[in-house]
Order: sequence, then structure tokens, then C-alpha cells
Amino acid sequence: MPSALSCFHCQLPIPPETQFFTDIDGTPQQFCCAGCQAVAQTIMAQGLGDYYRFRTKAAGRAELVPDELRAQLKSYDNPDVLAEISDSTTQGQRIELSVNGMSCAACAWLIEKQLSQQAGVQQVHVNSGTARCELVWQPAQVQLSALLEQLSQLGYQAAPFVPDQEEQSFKNELNAYLRRLAVSGIMSMQVMMLAFGLYFGEFSGIEAQYEGYLRWVSLLMTLPVMAYAARPFFTSAWRALHSRELNMDVPISLALLYTFFASVYATVFDTGEVYYESVCMFVFLLQLGKFFEFRARKRARDATSNLLKVLPVSATLLQDDQPVATSARKLVAGQHILVKAGETIPADGEVVAGNSSTDESMLTGEYSPVAKRVGDMVMAGSINHDGILTVRVAHALTESRLGQIIRLQQETLHQKPAILQQTDKIARFFVQRLLVIATLTFISWYFFIDAERAFWVTLSVLVATCPCALSLATPTAITCALAQLNKQGILIKNQHVLAFLPKLTQVFFDKTGTLTQGRFSIAKVNLYQAGWTEQAALGLIAALERHSEHPIARAFANYETPDVVASDITLQIGQGLTASWQQQQVKVGSRAFCQALDITDTAQVVLQVDDVLIASVELADQLRPEVPALVQQLQQAGLKTSILTGDGSGHGELLARELNITEVYQGCSPEQKVSTIQQAVSAGETVLMIGDGINDSPCFHAAQVSVALDSGTELSKNQADVVLLHNDLAQLQQLLAGARQAQAVVRQNLWWAAGYNLVIVPLAVCGFVSPYIAVIGMSFSSILVVSNSLRLLNK
Amino acid sequence: MSIIYVLIPIAILFVAIGLLIFFWAVRSKQFDDLDKEGFSILFDEQKKKQRQDHDTDA
Repeated sequence: MPSALSCFHCQLPIPPETQFFTDIDGTPQQFCCAGCQAVAQTIMAQGLGDYYRFRTKAAGRAELVPDELRAQLKSYDNPDVLAEISDSTTQGQRIELSVNGMSCAACAWLIEKQLSQQAGVQQVHVNSGTARCELVWQPAQVQLSALLEQLSQLGYQAAPFVPDQEEQSFKNELNAYLRRLAVSGIMSMQVMMLAFGLYFGEFSGIEAQYEGYLRWVSLLMTLPVMAYAARPFFTSAWRALHSRELNMDVPISLALLYTFFASVYATVFDTGEVYYESVCMFVFLLQLGKFFEFRARKRARDATSNLLKVLPVSATLLQDDQPVATSARKLVAGQHILVKAGETIPADGEVVAGNSSTDESMLTGEYSPVAKRVGDMVMAGSINHDGILTVRVAHALTESRLGQIIRLQQETLHQKPAILQQTDKIARFFVQRLLVIATLTFISWYFFIDAERAFWVTLSVLVATCPCALSLATPTAITCALAQLNKQGILIKNQHVLAFLPKLTQVFFDKTGTLTQGRFSIAKVNLYQAGWTEQAALGLIAALERHSEHPIARAFANYETPDVVASDITLQIGQGLTASWQQQQVKVGSRAFCQALDITDTAQVVLQVDDVLIASVELADQLRPEVPALVQQLQQAGLKTSILTGDGSGHGELLARELNITEVYQGCSPEQKVSTIQQAVSAGETVLMIGDGINDSPCFHAAQVSVALDSGTELSKNQADVVLLHNDLAQLQQLLAGARQAQAVVRQNLWWAAGYNLVIVPLAVCGFVSPYIAVIGMSFSSILVVSNSLRLLNK
Repeated sequence: MSIIYVLIPIAILFVAIGLLIFFWAVRSKQFDDLDKEGFSILFDEQKKKQRQDHDTDA
């Protein structure tokens, strides 16, 4: 709830000496910044105040809409760009947007409301779970940029998004699961109801005609379950048999078909027992487990699949020296493009005018900004920091380094080391023996004991040993473990991870952004004048650096103090800043900029007041605080640890010595990273790769398990098996512990199911188990297995 | 008891209708985002009330 000291909109604490007040429903409310205030005013002016009443989570802190953003949004109105990011339907243009800043379902409502009030908007559909918005609008009546601007006025940043094909098929699959679940669930209820009639008939007598009628009706209602809901089991079993394999679906299909056709036989010839309710319930329970597992995986996938955001969508083309917005994909070699500060460079090319520095860390792993002057090459996907560049395109986007990396990653996609599922191994063992036992039972009863009972005794054997518990053992445990890890902020997209993790032998760490924080922080401050404190020097540097976009400037953001005010700030791109402060001239920048070359240390930032050297600051990309303990724990657990980095500066070796890591691979290109990991895998190691950059994503597929951090690039999160949402590497330990627990539970479940079968099979073979008792035993062992798995949720 | 010859087919008919409605709901994306749909009831009520307020104002 908002208190006097927290912002009405984002509920963050209000900084002292800020005065942003607005009347909301007659009461003055305070805000933390102009951004939040503007958003709240927009929301109230549109009559959408309900948002504040019903939201369950605070909004993200809003920023004022800068003019640069407006200009950037305008580029989406270009017909070329529009054609690429949206498609035409009969109702209008349809586009999918990924929305940043959504925190709860009330946000979804707010966006739908706001957009549907606009003229020309045909349809808005917001999914709060995936933070996606589907929008259909008439480009003739309203421009996309206007709609996106409306959203940013509400505090949400929307970007066009093209879902990949895999995602679409996931969506269809989930809907198919829902339909199958409905068919098997509803039919189970109906058939169970009729089964109760038949149960009571057993005890108190039922007229033969009614019994026959109820059986026929049950048969009719079980048909859709067998023909529709259970079909995935049959097709999977058929595929396995076709390739001379046995998987868990084989015994499931066998039991289903045998039970169903035995019941049909009993119905048609009016003898024996029917088990329609068992068939329906079995299908329903199996589908339910699979549905939950699939939904958990889909959520994890959706949360991280914003692939297109990496690829630059639009570019500013210079045609006869006039800037024209165009689609980044349409750029061809030889064209000139303009790249403003803060923009993503849309193509590989050569700088022909301008002066700036770029951030290529996503592509190379090198964290220091790279200075770019006329004649230097720039890479698509890197970010232009501070100056305006004119670039001659060297080749099209798909041929760029970024395009190559993405292609490499798609090539490695299908090379994922496979693991034979434990349950499949058991299934093979189990089915072979089951078939032998069932056949022997039938033959011995038919020829030697009682030919009349042979069919029904065989049925008891099959029902009693029905693989229900066995087939539920692994998926239920894995689903519960996934849910539990998810609660801890560990998103698992590929459930095979849990099978690999307990066997792990080697861990590869990326350096920049993974072992280190991926940004500059202050390592050391050297003072040269008496009377200056570290705090005062840093405060003054911060007051100047806040006007710079350079990544070095961000290191000082925490040292800003409101009482230090600098004026007349001028920015020398790539060099430093000058300003006046208390009638003195202040210079902050590189050693060359301050003419302080006589300093011998490796300081990157120097502070001068009236040409007197005050302080120099050494910056470093520092280790994450949790890393040393984590590496030590992993090494104690007997795991090999290695560093795999694209940075060739030798920093990796220093870090390795500090962490006591012996294996270091430096200056690796994405291709070298892939081959390093492939070598480790073929040497028999079970490998975990943890990284955050675009350059790490291809080798994610080469390793058995890949982990990305939430602070990493979208592409790495998209490709990784696991995403650590709290950006805390110590979560790796939680992940390993969770996987071990899941494995323990799976083992217990399998032992139970196997032990139960060992007891019941001899009894059933001897004819002591009537099919009803077999059904009860089967249900009981299934419930036991499911309850055992549920224990994982309470951990 | 012969009434069950009529009642059970009627029940089956209802089940079939129910399933068809469910299939339609899945197709029209009503199950895509279950968090939001839980909220829609709150907002809709509010909207109607506001409209009534407007009507009485006018």
C-alpha cells in the first residue's frame, strides 16, 4: 500500500527534496519523479483510475518519453519496416508487440483499455503472462508510432516482435492438450457415473437389459477418449515400435488397448467385466500430468523468447544526404546509414564520418568500449555510445557477424547431446518382461489350468502391472521440481536438464557479465591534493558524468549528491567533459584529455579543477561477490571448472588465478567456444555452460546444460536451458540441489512401482487377483507416487 | 426404469454441447491468459456503473 514516503505510481521510496504532487480522486498524492507523475496524470485523464484500485503489484518506475524515442518509433511507420514486422489481414494490419514494464494483470487491462479507445484500432489482446500484445489496426487512420507513444505515456515500452515458428507450434500444442484434457476429463466423469450404476448392480442385482445398455453407453463415451484424447500415446508408441525401440508409451498403449478391447469383448458378448472407467481415468491422469509439465515449459519459454529484439529492425538511410527511415534488412552494400547515439548499429560497415565509441561486448565478450573513428569497422548489433556515425554498409544484415552467429546457433540447435531417458530404459526392461509373463500366463492357463479363465487372468496381470505408477513416476517428480525451482527464480525450459545435472562433471564459465558484473565499477581512487576527500572527488565527477552516455559514466551514478551542481557542461566525444563549478573550471576525462600523462597508474578517469590534478580513478569490471564461494563449492564437489571467454586481454587469466581455476580459454570466437565445448563433451564430460552474451549462445547447444543470467542478452536467454532470474550465480547451487532432490524422488517412485509389481505379478499370474482388486491396487500405487512427488513442492 | 433410455441420450447431448463450447473457448483464446480473465470481472462491473452514472447525469 502507498505510504506517505513512497511513490503513488511505482511505490518506490520518494527521494528527499522532490516535489511532485497530483490530485488523484481529490486527494493529493506524491510521486518520485516526473515520469511517474506524467503516467498517473495520463491514466486519470483517460478515466482509467480503476487500475490503481485493482492492481496487485506496483508499476515499474516510469521515465518521461524522450524525443529520441519518438523519433525511433516514427521509423516503424515506414511501409518497408511495417511490412516486415506486421502482416495484413482483412481487418487491418496485425502486429505482435512485446511489452516491457508489465507487472500484473491490471497492466494488461490498462493497455487494452487505452489502445481500444484510439480511433482506428480494431482489436487489442494483451497477455499478461507473456507480456505480449496483439494489435490489429488501420494504418490509414492511425499510425503505429502514435499507438506506441500512447503506451510509453502509460509507462510501458512496446517493441515489435515476431514470434518464431517453434513458439507458434507450442501454442497450438498447448491448445490441443487443453482439448484432450477436456474430452478425457468430462468423459471420465460420465463413464464413472455409469460405472457406479454397474457397481451397485453387481451387489443388489441389475436386470440384464439395463446392464447391457449401461455398458454400451459407456463404450460409446469411451470411444472419443480412445480415438482422440489417447492418440498421442498411440502415435508415440507406434513411432517407437517402428524404429525398433521401446518407450514408456508402449506399455501405456498396450494396457489401454488391451483393457479397452477386453471391455468391448465383454460388452458385445455380454460376459466378464468392463473397465471403461479405468481407461478414461488413466488417460485423464496421464494427460493432466503432461499438460502441467508442458504449460510450465511453455511459460518458461515465453518469458525468455524475445529473439527479434536483438536484430535491429530499422535503419536511417542517407539518400542524397537526406535521412530516410528504412528496414534494416533492406540495406545493401555501399549504402550510407546514419547511426545516432544510443542506437543499435543495423549493419556491418565502415565509418565514413563521425567519431564515437561502441559497445561490442554482446558480440565479442570484450567489455571495454571500442573507440571508432573514420575508417574503422563497426559491427551490426553493437551499440553506438555517444557520437553520431555515418557508416558505409559493407554487407547486408544476414551476412553480418551477428547474422553469422545466429546461423551458427541454429546449426548447433540439433546437435544437442541426447540422453536416453531413464524411464525409457526402464520401459524397455519392463515391457519385454511383461509381455513374456503375460504370454506365458495366457498359454499356461489356456492349455493346462482353465481355458475359460485364461483371458481374464491375463487381463488381471496386465491391469495389475499397468504402467500407471511407473509412467507417472518421472513426469510428476519433474513437474513438481520445475515448479519449486521456478518459485526460487530459476526458470527451466528444457526438462532434460534435471536428468543431466546430477551427473555433471565440468562447468564452463563465460567471463564478462557472468563471473564479473559486466560493467565498470570503481576499483581505486588516488588523491593528489590535500583537502580533498574521496567522497568529494567522486561526487564532483558524478555531477559531470551524469551528462554522458558513456558506460564509464554509469560507474559514478551511485556517488551523485544533490548539493554538487555543475553548469556549462560540454561533452568532448570519446574524451571527457568540462564544466564550471564554484567559479572554477572542472575537467573530467581520460589522461590524454586532462594532459595528465605523467600519472603512471592505469587510471581511466582523471579529475582536474582549474588545471590542477585532484584525483584519478581506476575502474575495473569486478567479480560478482558470490563467485569465489560458488567456484570453491563446485570444486569441492569434484567438478572441473573452466573459463571460456571471448576477451583476449589477459584479464581472464588474472581472474582464473584469483579463483583457482586452472583451465582458461581466452580470446575465443563463438566458433572456438563451440568446438571447445564439443571437445569436452566428446571426451566424456557432462558439461554445463553458463554465459550471458550473444557470442555464448551458439555453444549453449553444444553443452548438455546451458544457463543464462536474466541480465544477459535476449538471445542468450532465449537459447539457454535455464535462466537464473535473480542474476545470482549462487542459484547454481540451488539448481544442482533441486535436481538432486528430483532425482531422489524419481528413484523412490520407481522403486515403489517396481516393488509393487514384484508383489502383485505372481499373485495375478496365479489367478488370485480379480480385475477389480487389480484396479484398486493400480490406483493406490499411482496416488502414492503422485503424493511422493508433491513433497518436492514443500521443500 | 426404462426412462434411462431417454435420459442418458439427453445427458450425452448435453455433454457434447459442453465439449463443443469448451473447444470454441480454447479456439477463441480464452485460455491464453488466465490471470487477466480473473480480473476482467472487476473492471467490467465498474465500467457499467460508470455508464449508468453518465446516463443519470445526462
